[in-house]
Formats: sequence, structure tokens, C-alpha cells
Amino acid sequence: MTRTGRKSWRQWTPAAIAAGAVGAAALVAPFSANAAVDLPDKTAAEVLALVQEKDVAAFSGTVEQTSNLGLPDLSALDAAGGGNGSPNDDDGGDTSPASAAMELVTGSHTAQVYVNGPDQSRLQVLDQLEERNVIRNGDELWYYNSDENEALHATLGDHEKPDGGTQAPHDLAAHFLEKVDPSTEVTVGSDRMVAGRAVYDLILTPRSAETLVGSVTVAVDGETGLPLGVAVAAAGSSDPAFSSAFTDISYEAPDESLFAFTPPDGATVTEVDPKDHQRGEHTHKETAEAEKPTVIGEGWDAVVVVPAGQQQIPEELAQLSTPVDGGQLLSTTLVNVLLADDGRVLAGSVTVERLQAVAAGQ
Amino acid sequence: MSSKTLSSSTASRKSVGWRFLGSELSVLFRRRRTWALLAALAAIPVLIAVAVKLSSGPPRGRGPAFLDQVSQNGLFVAVVATIVAIPLFLPLTVGVVAGDTVAGEASTGTLRYLLMSPVARGRLLAVKYAGAVVFCLAATFTVGSVGTLMGALLFPVGPVTTLSGTTIDVTESLVRIALVCLYVTLSLLGLCAVGLFMSTLTDVPVGAMAATVVASVVSQVVGQLPQLEWIHPWLLTHYWLGFADLLRDPVVWDSFAANAVLQAGYIVVFGALAYGRFSTKDVLA
Repeated sequence: MTRTGRKSWRQWTPAAIAAGAVGAAALVAPFSANAAVDLPDKTAAEVLALVQEKDVAAFSGTVEQTSNLGLPDLSALDAAGGGNGSPNDDDGGDTSPASAAMELVTGSHTAQVYVNGPDQSRLQVLDQLEERNVIRNGDELWYYNSDENEALHATLGDHEKPDGGTQAPHDLAAHFLEKVDPSTEVTVGSDRMVAGRAVYDLILTPRSAETLVGSVTVAVDGETGLPLGVAVAAAGSSDPAFSSAFTDISYEAPDESLFAFTPPDGATVTEVDPKDHQRGEHTHKETAEAEKPTVIGEGWDAVVVVPAGQQQIPEELAQLSTPVDGGQLLSTTLVNVLLADDGRVLAGSVTVERLQAVAAGQ
Repeated sequence: MSSKTLSSSTASRKSVGWRFLGSELSVLFRRRRTWALLAALAAIPVLIAVAVKLSSGPPRGRGPAFLDQVSQNGLFVAVVATIVAIPLFLPLTVGVVAGDTVAGEASTGTLRYLLMSPVARGRLLAVKYAGAVVFCLAATFTVGSVGTLMGALLFPVGPVTTLSGTTIDVTESLVRIALVCLYVTLSLLGLCAVGLFMSTLTDVPVGAMAATVVASVVSQVVGQLPQLEWIHPWLLTHYWLGFADLLRDPVVWDSFAANAVLQAGYIVVFGALAYGRFSTKDVLA
């Protein structure tokens, strides 16, 4: 009995040690990266100034984006429907700008970002076995989708700057930092590491009771002032519902050739007039804004109202809505969308009651 | 290969180890079964190429990724065949070879004779594992090279469009295909270690083979369940389709590195399990 007992002990010892070592390495690695970050103390205003005065012309890096909006992962639905391929592509359903935008916002994505000065940028979304690129090179704006082998091209005029940029953390952060006004409490969290850089955490907490946003955390590179990460938590929750952050970053100017794009042979190339339809912008999530909707309210309580008939809601989203007073409600942890009975679409990071009040008030 | 240094007779032991590996490989590649497995893998690109040649070409967006590009560029046969082979065919063949390593010898009664030769059990295990790794390499390069050949025979070959929309010339494309094969080989190393461990548990090779294949299937099924997302980065199969990063421009190496770390973890844990089990195993048959 003792012999077998000793044997079974001896038998599994190496495995136990190996498993322990692998587990320890896996646990320690992220911690050691976080170890000992101590930046000079700064007030919130000083960190904000650091962001505003940043002088970063060129950088490149990898961005990880995850979101947990309480919506089903539309990309997963698509993949589950057809194994390796995406048979739904035939329906034309998921190529609509709105649903492409939704897919970008809801799923988890890894992307490479290259920025060289104000006129050259490239966002490379690395999907499994596919890739989407948004490339801006001077006046040229390209969108390329490898799955469809489809390219969109737009030539920008002098005064037309694509808003939203690359949708990478630095652009998202700018969007939130614009909102900093008396309705926002700004504090500085503890220093930590993001993408191997020591960062200040700038925490924006809305003072409004009507918004769904609990807090927005912007990680600001302590040295360069470039926002390296954005995390948005819903009210009453500490886990971020949406986060987008660099996992590695380099401040060296990316190679010039990265911004040169020639559509490959056989690709469908569509010329887009940016003034005409803004279709080239369709990877950006604010598609609704491209339709010139009206905005009611300010800051965190802002509600976007899209006139009837201007915004097509993808069918898969409409199916997820629930009936409420005055229309159908599409509810996520960070955004509520009211499909009003009169055809208008109201959206905002606000409570249902506020949406209904705005709908009734007009 | 193991690099234990036993100062007195390192050189001779080393040469015994290499000789042992040589004989292991010659036994493995002289088996009719090994060639049957490789032939079955080679049939995948052949079938794909012939099917695409005979049909008018599938519409965009149907079937495995890149299938629609095969008729324009034969080099894609290798890539499509690799995508098709990864979920089941490659793990199946690797499971057969890795599951057979120790259990096969035990079932035919030759394990006893192997252990009589002046070879430590750990070294025997390492040689067996190395043999299975060489088979992985042979398996993935069979799919890749037969795919390239069939593509070149039946379709025009030209510059390849990467996922990023840029174009790379034929030589660069062949390098990328070879890199994909290496990536897939790397992806299978963890499964090999699992198979080796399973093989030390039983004297019935079929059991070890089945258990290894089941391990890869279960891992892929779990990888499909969003409810178990927290476990996904730990799964054996997590990066299996990540080879597409090698078809981008510029090449993204992140998944290659992450995959290497993950597979190394599996090799260490299951290698240790196999060693613990095998070094104390009573070899009766």
C-alpha cells in the first residue's frame, strides 16, 4: 500500500511542478509588467493639459478592443451561421454600413494603428482570416475589406477632414475629453502601465443622473500625453462595458509604404463622393451623425434624434428591441435606442425615461 | 532532444540518443500507415483543386475562406487546403501518430526490449516525441506542397493578394506558404504532447489515439462557446487559425509568438505528466 502510495506521488510530482511553474509564469507575467509605476503626481487639470499639449506626430501600435454591451456578439452570430465562410454575405444584409458599424462596436477586435502626422493614418482591423483597412494618405481615403475584396475610395477636399479618425484609443479619448465641462467630475487614478508605458488614469465621472455612463477612464501616457486607452463603465458597474487600449506602442514614424494603397486586381472599387453620401465613413460608429440628425441636450445627456426614414435599423437589431411607451427600445449597457412609433430614431447614453421625454417633447 | 548532461558518458549517450532518433524515424516512415496518413492529407488539396477546376468556381463568400480565389491563383490551393485540414484532418493524423508512440510499443510487446537498451526512460520519451514532431512537420508540408503543386498544375500562378489588399510576388508567396506550414506545425506540438501523455496511460494504442483526437475536438468546441470566453486563451486550439496573420502585409507576428508560448506551456505540462507516468510505469508486456 505504501509502495503504491509513494509511487503515485512520485508519478505526478514532475507534472505538478511543471503545471505550477506554467501557472505561476502566466500569473506573474502581467503583474511584473505592472510593477512599480510611480509618475510625478499631477492634478487632473495638469493631466488634461498634458493631453492637450501633446506633441506626438507619429506612432504605431496594436489596439485591443472589447465590449460587453449586453448585446449578442453579431460577429459571432455571423460566424456561427456559416462555419468558415459567411454565407449571409449573399443577402447583402451584413454589408450595410449600419450593421458593419454595429459589428465593429460590439465585437472584440484587434487592430493595428499607424499614424504619421495629421494626414497619414491607417487602421488595420485584424479579423480571423479577414482584414479591413481604413487608410488615409493625404487627400486619399481608402477602405478595403478582404472578405468582400471590395475597396471604397474617396478624395478629400482641402477643408474636409474625416471626423473620428482611426477610432483608436487616442481618437476615442478626444471624443470623451471634449465632454469635460462642469457636468463632469475629473479625478486622477493611480498610476499604472499600459502597453509598457507608465500612464496617468484620468477618470471622468458624469454628474448627471440621467446618463447610463458610470465613468470613463482615459489612460494618458505620462511622458508623451497620448491617450493609450479608454474604458467606459456603465453606471453602477465597475467592470468596463467597453474598452479600447493599446497593447503595444512605438513612437517611431511608421514606414511610408504602409500608407500607400493600390486596390488589388479583381477588387470591386467604388468611388465615393465624401460630400454626397459619407459612405466612405461607414466604418465609423457615428453613422447616425453622418445623416445630419439633430442633437438635443448637451454633454452626457445628449440625445441624437434622427428624422423618420433616414436611418435604417438592421433587422437583427430590430428583433432585439422590446416594446415600451412610444415605440420600441433597444437597450444596451451604455446606449439606449428608441425606435419611436412615428419613425424617428432617438439614441443616447441616457435612460429610457429621458429618451421618452425627448420624444414626447418634440 | 533532451540535453541532460551526465558528465561521464555524455558523448556516447548523445550519440545513442541520435541513433535512437534515427531508428525511430526510419521505423515511423517505413510504416505503411504513416504513408497512408500522409496520402490522405495529400488528397485534400488534390480534391479541392480538382473540384474547383471542374466547377465554374464558387461565388464569393461561400465555402472556406480564399476558395473563390483559387481559380485565379493556384497558390491559394495550399492555403485553402490548410484551412480545411486544420480542424479535423491534421489533429486526426497527429493523434494517430502521437497516441501510438508508447502504447503501440507496449501493445506489441517491444517496449520491454526498448527499455533494455542503455537508454533512459526520459530519453526514450523525448525521442518518441521528436518522432511525432517530425511527423507533424511532414504532415503540414505535405498539405502545403501538394497544394502548391496542384495549384500550379491546374491554375494560373501569379502574384498573390494579401489580406491587406497589397500584392506580393510568387517567391514571397511561397515563403509565406512555408511560414504557414511552420505555424501549423507549431500549433500541433501541444497536441503531440497530449498524445504522448495519453499514450503512456494505456497499452491500447487506439484508446490513446481516440483520446488525443477527442482532446482537440473538445478544445475547439469549447472555443466556440462565448460563455466560456475566460478559458479561451488557455485552449490548445486557440491560435490554430491565427496563421492568417502571416498573410497580412506587413506580417503580424503576435499570434505566432503567442501560439509558441501557449504550445510550450502544453509541452511542459503534458511532457512532465508523461514523464512522471512513464518513468514509474511497470512495463509488463
